[in-house]
Amino acid sequence: MIGDYKGEVKYNVITALLQAYHDILDYDGMKSILKEAEMLHLKNIRDEDQNQYLDLFSFKKIITAQNCLLYDSSMLLFEIGKKFSFYLFPYGKNFEEIVSEINSIIITDWKVEIVEKQQNLIVILVQKCIFCSEIGVPCDLFKGFLVHSLEKSLPSEYRVVHFGEKEDVEDQNHNTFILKLKMEKKY
Amino acid sequence: MVDKKINLKLALLGDPAVGKTSLINRYTEEGFKDNYQPTLGVNIVMKKLKIEEFEVQLAIWDIAGQDKYDLTRKMFFEGCTGSLLVYDITRSSTFDRIQSKWLEDFKNFARSDGIYILIGNKSDLRNKDAVSIERGQKLAEQIQASDFIETSAKLGDNVEATFRKLVVHALDSFDIQLKLK
Repeated sequence: MIGDYKGEVKYNVITALLQAYHDILDYDGMKSILKEAEMLHLKNIRDEDQNQYLDLFSFKKIITAQNCLLYDSSMLLFEIGKKFSFYLFPYGKNFEEIVSEINSIIITDWKVEIVEKQQNLIVILVQKCIFCSEIGVPCDLFKGFLVHSLEKSLPSEYRVVHFGEKEDVEDQNHNTFILKLKMEKKY
Repeated sequence: MVDKKINLKLALLGDPAVGKTSLINRYTEEGFKDNYQPTLGVNIVMKKLKIEEFEVQLAIWDIAGQDKYDLTRKMFFEGCTGSLLVYDITRSSTFDRIQSKWLEDFKNFARSDGIYILIGNKSDLRNKDAVSIERGQKLAEQIQASDFIETSAKLGDNVEATFRKLVVHALDSFDIQLKLK
């Protein structure tokens, strides 16, 4: 593969993403996305060896189909992102480990890093986010992923609130952004 | 020449087995299946349509009617600009729930300027009807639907015209005045 589609994605990423679609949109919703992506043959990918890699082009087709079908559905994408985190890293990893590992299982020209860490605030820099590279598409899915990844590593009385600069989805570089995650007590 | 692109999110709402999926299949694939398979969650289909100088990209959401989806269904409505509220003319219970359930959900969770058309489906079964055309028309007026149409997904009657009208009304709600209406 050349240019923008150079890279590969570990099968467990696809499995977790499809399971997240399934949880939020149910079977027909998941199938709609795979059908639109012309990737219906991946619907049983969880039965395959999860250490294999899928080419980035195929992965991008799924993300593009998702963003096309779920146009204007920010809440759904955010919830899918949370579930995606739940299934990709079900237990035993802290936030730093999750950030490090997501870079290593989606191998392409992108980067997620923690650039600042305070007692109740973490600042993330996402460069060339793979989940929102199209113009006009906000990155609600990956924001949901990061929020849940941090939230599940905190004691249950804490929640995570995200904020950052307002995303200009018409800017072709909008997939590079800063996200601030604030940890606060629920009660 | 097409010079304006517009994305519209549309939804079909109504009780299970009123024919929502069949209407979409008839519109997008021009087919009809006799065996009933309930939609699990949501089935989303894309369709491009050209209306005057506009290229309209439709995302048509076929939303499951079963009560078990009540919680997640609310999220499905986000950004929805138009809806077909569908009942089955042979089952009056499906007609009764248009106002009490489906219209209420749409008004509560879709865009505030969202429009809707009332659809009496299965017009090919007119001899078994439980809901007359007059009752349909009266309800459409009462709920201020943009239109009332009886369709047959099985025979294809009024299906294409219904979706086209829904798009035209939705564009209208964006203050886009069309020459052909």
